[in-house]
Amino acid sequence: MVDYLIDVFLYLPIQRALIACLLCGISCSVLSVFVILMKMPLIGVSMSHAAFAGAVLGMLFDINPFLSGFIVCLITAGVLGPISDRTDMAPENILGIMFSLLMGIAFLGMGILTRTKANALNLMWGSMLSLSGTDIDVLTIVTAVLLLFVCLFFKEIRSILFSRQLAGASGVPERLIYYALLFLTGAVVSSNLATVGGLLIFALLVQPGATALQLTYNLKYFFIVSAVSGVGACVSGLVVSYIFDLPSGASVVIMSTSIFAVAYVFSPKRRTIKLKQGGNIS
Amino acid sequence: MSEKIIELKDVVVKKGKDVLLDGINLSVLRNEFVGIIGPNGAGKTTLLKVIAGFERFMGTINLFGRKEGWRRSRKTRLRIGYVPQQMQIDKAFPILALETVMTGVIGRLGLFRSPGREEKKKAINLMEMMHVDHLADRPLGQLSGGERQKVILARAIMQQPDILLMDEPTANLDIVVQKEFLNLINDIQRHKALTLCFVTHDFTMLPDTMQRAVLLNKGKIAFDGDIDTALSKETLSGLFGYPIETFKRDGRRFISYG
Repeated sequence: MVDYLIDVFLYLPIQRALIACLLCGISCSVLSVFVILMKMPLIGVSMSHAAFAGAVLGMLFDINPFLSGFIVCLITAGVLGPISDRTDMAPENILGIMFSLLMGIAFLGMGILTRTKANALNLMWGSMLSLSGTDIDVLTIVTAVLLLFVCLFFKEIRSILFSRQLAGASGVPERLIYYALLFLTGAVVSSNLATVGGLLIFALLVQPGATALQLTYNLKYFFIVSAVSGVGACVSGLVVSYIFDLPSGASVVIMSTSIFAVAYVFSPKRRTIKLKQGGNIS
Repeated sequence: MSEKIIELKDVVVKKGKDVLLDGINLSVLRNEFVGIIGPNGAGKTTLLKVIAGFERFMGTINLFGRKEGWRRSRKTRLRIGYVPQQMQIDKAFPILALETVMTGVIGRLGLFRSPGREEKKKAINLMEMMHVDHLADRPLGQLSGGERQKVILARAIMQQPDILLMDEPTANLDIVVQKEFLNLINDIQRHKALTLCFVTHDFTMLPDTMQRAVLLNKGKIAFDGDIDTALSKETLSGLFGYPIETFKRDGRRFISYG
């Protein structure tokens, strides 16, 4: 058994997949903290569909799909930021419109794609076991930049997560940080098209943060718990997919949901709040 | 004569066809305490948002003697504290009361500098002043509405502003907590060199130290002067278009309708 496992880990695609699990888990989970605490899950949906739509367009025009996915993500981030700052439109409505438009573009692209659609479909759910060295390099750089961003601007991030309006009013460069965050979301999502895909990534942009919300009041631990749960979901999902010969992206999402369910059931915060005030946490 | 710290000239705010503020001219002197009072929809919050830099406007605004656009520069924002209406915070949100107060100083510290012992001590002192120091390690979302509002007030003072804007900070608080909160505002006015603008629609619950009232109605200033004249039977009845009588007993103001 041990020899078999050693043989498995010596296999290059498995090594890459494990590294990708670690990077994908960390990058998506860190972003999910923002998605959950800023109550903007639709940002995750819009960005993941932007990456997907961009990649399909890339295939249509013979451009590297991950590069085109990244560019469309950046454009989406550039549009979303200023529009969501408009006070006369609810951000949820804007994101809903963007999300449906991007999905329309993606399926339009797939409809007129003359070549085989298998590669385009792969972009939806990714494949941990067929990653290239470049995929890993890009993911490493994006994850490192995201972690550096969180470490350098942690106090500003805390202030903005609490209230964008109050942070801005008290001299914090909230728009700069918020826009940087949107661009980083685009980078994380598009660099993860190859790992979990443009559709399934949404689960990793929500569930690790939602898991941390059940477990801690400390923002630093919140990031750590989220990252551990995201990496846990990716690694366990990969193992399950390998053992039972299942699609890796789908397995990761199911493991991530299971981890959230366990955290929800055993949440010490939920019990304390219920005992003290009879309230609920979402 | 005191320096004009806020000066608005012919300020107009429109949202589509609706005119929210219609030709507002207003000057506030340093260390003055001004109440911005009026019925719902009078434009009180919009006026405060224009001063804070949250709302686009037409006209001219001078703050600290400098002409301002609709957005404030970082330097100006540091000098303006803002206390919103009661905020809804998720009970599970990961921020403690002390951390909330500390966020007030983040803008002043600037990027790449973290709050140290001195800032923490200052935050605890402010929480003591607001009588919420015993709640320092409690999650903000689990505090009562009044406690939370006191923490938000401490946060605004932590910023060390020259102007403190308060947008109906006592709305939705019960009467006892409202009175406690107003006493804190009186203390702040007495002990800190601050210019205060306090928006409210409830003129039965006003801080004692408020010197001047600006009554707004339908986006226009209906009255600007001392608080006693503002709250007289004639002025209020004219403003609301309904007979309202005010009387004072033991230094407290009571209102009788109809």
